[in-house]
Amino acid sequence: MFKKLKFFKRNKSHKESSSGDNLPDLFRFKYSCFKMLLDSNAEFLNVITDLTEKLRGQQVFSMSYVRFRSAKAVFHALRMIKNLDDLSGHRYSQMFDTLENINLKIKEILGRKKEISVSELTLPYSAINAEMMDWVGGKNANLGEIHSRIGLPIPSGFAVTTRAFESFLLNSALFDEISSKKMNIDPDNPETIKVISDDIRQLILAADVPPVIEDAILLAHAKLAEETSCGKSQDSSLRISMRSSAVGEDSELSFAGQYLSRLNVPKEDIIRTYKEIVASLYTPRAISYRLNKGIRDEDIAMSVACIQMVESVASGVMYSGNPINMLEENIIITAVWGLGPYAVDGVITPDTYTVGRNSQTISSDISRKRVQLISKPDGGLTEIPVADDLQDKPCLSADNIVVLAGYARKLEDHYGCPQDIEWAIDSKGVIFILQSRPLRAEDSGKSYPATPILTGYPLLIEKGVTVSGGVGFGPAFHVSTDEDLYNFPDGAVLIARHTSPKLVIVIKKTRAIVTDMGNIAGHMATLAREFGVPTIVSTNVATSVIPAGMEVTVDAYSGRVYQGRVPELDEFQITGEFPMKNTPVYKVLREVSDLIVPLHLLDPGAPDFAPPFCRTLHDISRLVHELSYSEMFKLSDLVSDKKGLAFKLKGNIKLDLYVIDLGSGLTENNLNLNSISTNEIASVPFKALLKGLMNDDFHQNQLRPVEFSGFLSVMREQMLAPPSAAERFGDRSYAIISDKYLNFSSRIGYHYGIVDSYCSRTVNMNYITFSFKGGAANDIRRNRRARAIARILQSLDFTSEVTGDRVTARYQKHEIHLIEDKLDLIGRLLQFTRQMDMLMTNEASIEVLADNFLEGNYNLEKIISGQ
Amino acid sequence: MKIISLLLVDDEDDFRTTLANRLKKRNLDVTDAASGEEALELIGKKSFDVAIVDIKMPGIDGIETLRRIRKIDPLLEVILLTGHASVEAGVEGMKYGAYDYIIKPCNVNDLLIKVEDACRRRMIEKEHAQEKPECSKS
Repeated sequence: MFKKLKFFKRNKSHKESSSGDNLPDLFRFKYSCFKMLLDSNAEFLNVITDLTEKLRGQQVFSMSYVRFRSAKAVFHALRMIKNLDDLSGHRYSQMFDTLENINLKIKEILGRKKEISVSELTLPYSAINAEMMDWVGGKNANLGEIHSRIGLPIPSGFAVTTRAFESFLLNSALFDEISSKKMNIDPDNPETIKVISDDIRQLILAADVPPVIEDAILLAHAKLAEETSCGKSQDSSLRISMRSSAVGEDSELSFAGQYLSRLNVPKEDIIRTYKEIVASLYTPRAISYRLNKGIRDEDIAMSVACIQMVESVASGVMYSGNPINMLEENIIITAVWGLGPYAVDGVITPDTYTVGRNSQTISSDISRKRVQLISKPDGGLTEIPVADDLQDKPCLSADNIVVLAGYARKLEDHYGCPQDIEWAIDSKGVIFILQSRPLRAEDSGKSYPATPILTGYPLLIEKGVTVSGGVGFGPAFHVSTDEDLYNFPDGAVLIARHTSPKLVIVIKKTRAIVTDMGNIAGHMATLAREFGVPTIVSTNVATSVIPAGMEVTVDAYSGRVYQGRVPELDEFQITGEFPMKNTPVYKVLREVSDLIVPLHLLDPGAPDFAPPFCRTLHDISRLVHELSYSEMFKLSDLVSDKKGLAFKLKGNIKLDLYVIDLGSGLTENNLNLNSISTNEIASVPFKALLKGLMNDDFHQNQLRPVEFSGFLSVMREQMLAPPSAAERFGDRSYAIISDKYLNFSSRIGYHYGIVDSYCSRTVNMNYITFSFKGGAANDIRRNRRARAIARILQSLDFTSEVTGDRVTARYQKHEIHLIEDKLDLIGRLLQFTRQMDMLMTNEASIEVLADNFLEGNYNLEKIISGQ
Repeated sequence: MKIISLLLVDDEDDFRTTLANRLKKRNLDVTDAASGEEALELIGKKSFDVAIVDIKMPGIDGIETLRRIRKIDPLLEVILLTGHASVEAGVEGMKYGAYDYIIKPCNVNDLLIKVEDACRRRMIEKEHAQEKPECSKS
């Protein structure tokens, strides 16, 4: 089928000058295709390994990650097909369609986006209800619902819709710039989050709001002024509060305190404030929150609530149930003097009232409220001292409490679930509802042990207010500045004076939180419950009695903190496993991975080992990889000489090994047309590797599985794997060689190893790359084996990396004899690994096996009996 | 191998001129263009073996330039210059028949090897097209 023999022969005379450089052009071309194919195969396997790791759900990742990795997988599968197609003289062109079909499905999953079906740029609350969540965000939708369907008093106002948000981002070309910046976020590195957050927020603040949006907002503002009797001529005197109302906010996820709200905004600051609120989508803590909750970037949009400013005398939060114990039906109200922010952001400890379903006050816990927030005449807020005679007075009268409790019941009945409500009382005594959202409660399945004080451990804090139950142990770390947050160590207990929603940045790292101030209805308390972090607030003394670095056990069920570890409480410790599972981003990853990761084409001899049966990108890459070797074999058919290019290697190597000679890889005197013996190999790197593979120590003793549980677990894996997988024990291995080059690819059982090496007098060009993946037995053992191999390779001066069960290692720019020595050791290592899984019974086995290998003890049976 | 005639298309002046000079020193016949438009004009006038095209350019971007090049001269091999982030564009590029890609900033030796390999493909595809004209690939 190839008519290019003429072309090939023309160049054949160059062959004896050997090595890569003067190979005939067709060979060089095919070889370059093959190299690119192998390169993409390695990259593709990297993506698979990485996706598999993320699918465990233990690491945080973003939608950009899912996008980028999927595109990478498609790219490398495509590049593999292209090179196979070139290699084969375009006999596999149909595989482009196979790939495109899968690619289309992936694109469809990644491209799904919520449609915004509102055309208005602003909407008054009379035109809004709870179904309009996607158009006006959670806060606005709930306010509209409370006003138009429940009939409770809310301040007048309007919403700036997500349509306005979209056109702001699209018209100012912000969308693309933000998207490209977001790519550089590393979820594990808070510093990158901060840097990119700053960049994105500056971009947004510097952009111009399109005139049509500006006009629409100011027109709605003028109407509001008219309506609230400020009079049109005086609309400049109308002050509004502008609050974030992001899509998804205040629904099943709270986003408590993550986005910006500004109170007492004068007319001239409205547009700037609008941009600030939009930009608050990208504060470090908002980015962290979304990453941790797996929220898709496509699903975020910022609507803004513009509400007539209520100059409240008192304000606060009300829970229509107890978030710590849902069985208790009491209503909890917290209150401060003045404006609301101080009731939620942890600056002062508010009054707490517990009210029965019948509106009877059960208990009042009146705190000392030294300061309060009020509006400044020229806009903005200021803190002033509370009048002396009011500091210790309750903020609420008995009547207030009855009205509030009534509202709480009404809201709960309407929504059908306990509510978290913000309220304010103006100077005329009118109570307004400012916000209502589902109350985030502890998982009801969690046990709630009331433990007595445990003796024998120094008790640091006897009584704090539990806002999120659980037990956490770790070294104390004090947080007072943003800098402290960036330096927060994994697994520490966070100690702070105030509660703050900023703490969300480290909420995944912290085992427990203890603060001096704060209350059950604060933003941070909501976040702590949402993330399941044991949290005690209002201890008064945490920062002074718990020194930094001291190991403490926080018993948030009982509100106590002990010094040191308290083993009796261990069983109640909360471990934040699989945080990403069930999040929207995780679901997308799952769906996309189903089209990328699973491998169905297992047996090269089976009739369905063919393009039409590829269901995933992994199937494609596996098939293309196998076919590429067949194509390389066919190179020998191109030559009309008697001397072939592909041979089966005879010898004591326990491998079904085929050799393809690209030039001068074999000695001149071989006569057998079909097979060669090991002493006919001239390739320097291959000779070195074979020396290791044929090392006598591996051929004297046969390993029997002696560790019963290990043997069983390997057997179990085999039984779980598809039946054809078992036949893989007889897979072919390939060596593609020239005098200085080796590409060795072996599948031994479940193991898949690749050695690629160039070995010449030019030290700078010399290298060995080695990668190893797979294996029977479970994840843990496979990972242990990978780490044992990495340990060995590092001791042999390789640079190596382990991800899941895959090891990659590199050794380069060394003298020829050093490269040969290392290849010999890699050969031995490949034999050594054949039975290694079974022995990886514990962490210690990593070191034992690695050390024995390095000392030259390859007899696994002896190693085990020694162990 | 005969002297390779190469077209280098990139809007970044410094990068383009430096790379062009380096490749000229390696005995390549290099012509450079600062935009897709300029490149397409040059292709109409002169025959090239290989083109190196930056993906990200103002005006006609790299992918569109590639598409149009392949229409004018299907046997002209195109190597795409990409950043780490432009994988999706890379997929498009491969679909429209780019030979391969190289990540910027790049090593001149690696680039040279890639150019030679692309040139080899051009020779082979040319023979293929001459022998079986009906079989030429889209």
